[in-house]
Amino acid sequence: MKDRKIVCRCEDLTEEDIIHAIEEGYDDLESLKRYTGATSGPCQGKGCLMHVIRILCAKTGKSPDEVGVTTQRQPVNPVPLYLLAKGDEK
Amino acid sequence: MRVAIIGGGIVGLATAYNLAKDGVDVVVFERKYLLYGASGRNSGGITAMLNNERLIEMAKKSMKIYDEVQSEIGFNFLYRKDGYIKVASTENDLNKLKEEMNLQKRMGVKVKQIDANEVKDFIPDFNADAVIGGVYGEGGVIFPWPVIWGYAKGCRELGVDVKDYTTVEEIVVKDRAIDGVKANGEFFKVDFIVNAAGAWSNEISRMAGVELNNKIIKEEICVTESLKPYLDPYLLDVTTGIYLSQSMRGEIVGGIVGNEVESIDVKGSLDFLVKYAKRAVELIPKLKGLCILRQWAGVYDEGKDIPNISTTNVKGFIQANGFGKFGMCLAPAAAIEVTRLIRKT
Repeated sequence: MKDRKIVCRCEDLTEEDIIHAIEEGYDDLESLKRYTGATSGPCQGKGCLMHVIRILCAKTGKSPDEVGVTTQRQPVNPVPLYLLAKGDEK
Repeated sequence: MRVAIIGGGIVGLATAYNLAKDGVDVVVFERKYLLYGASGRNSGGITAMLNNERLIEMAKKSMKIYDEVQSEIGFNFLYRKDGYIKVASTENDLNKLKEEMNLQKRMGVKVKQIDANEVKDFIPDFNADAVIGGVYGEGGVIFPWPVIWGYAKGCRELGVDVKDYTTVEEIVVKDRAIDGVKANGEFFKVDFIVNAAGAWSNEISRMAGVELNNKIIKEEICVTESLKPYLDPYLLDVTTGIYLSQSMRGEIVGGIVGNEVESIDVKGSLDFLVKYAKRAVELIPKLKGLCILRQWAGVYDEGKDIPNISTTNVKGFIQANGFGKFGMCLAPAAAIEVTRLIRKT
């Protein structure tokens, strides 16, 4: 059986999947995210973003600075609707 | 003939695809990445239950095109046609829904009136006390990401040059006619420019010396963790503007219909989450334990005509913008109109 390195557990993506996508031309982080779904699952990138950046750097020869990071948005951790529903409206 | 399209969203790419099928040489300029604008930030609600004849006709046609174009291009748009429900909690809103429904019916849209309890036939955990009634009709949910990737793939295979991260710096007009466009320092000689820049259409139009004045609308959306398939139809509460649906990835995606803003910003707010959460758990109390994973915002433009597909007093400068919140519903058919307009100009 072939070795499979899981990069993104939420979306079940292997290193090979990411490399494929880069080779197909999705070779910037924002496009790669939206083509593969990486960083868009329950972990919101906490588990996979650094791996994706590492692979993208290795494939394109860019530095992590050049590759950048995806937009980080709230909430930092998942928040249930019932808690939010108790909040005050402006 | 060479056409430059400004904006790599659903309108720009669908237009590029149609023009290319027609044998036209097309180049698409996208300032950011594909999916940066409203086409990548919307909730994918698809319906022909709209409020005037032109929109209904265009939406019906678009739904048909979505069915066909997926196999034509070879890309799965994750289009789920499990119905569309609009509910209202005031008499006034409900009457408006009924009036619209009569028009929709006359135009061959499958739609029917339902009372508050009947919503439960489609959404088992719905709280009938939260509304006074609504309408149910054909429609569903599409995943905007593969729609854009698919159209972009279709375009490229037909020889369209889709340029992302490419900023249009100048629109060159000579004797009140389009001469070309300068982007990322390079000049492209073209016969037509299509302004499909969504919320940025006003700026682009100004570059050609044409006043546009589309309204800019900001809308916020959020997404929960994934569930097994649970919620069939797309749900819109017209009284509060709150909508939600389940994507093919299982998440509940929902938001609040947007408001006009002075300038473009895509920040998310806690106010939005609170307002959304309150109404969402009123409508479907069982959602209350679900966690919000992420929230975001997007901007779109609304024309005096929705959509604005027109020529201008600069020959070769074509407007294809002002779609309001209906871009995903209308773009595939609108693209054919834009293509026709270019052909006859």
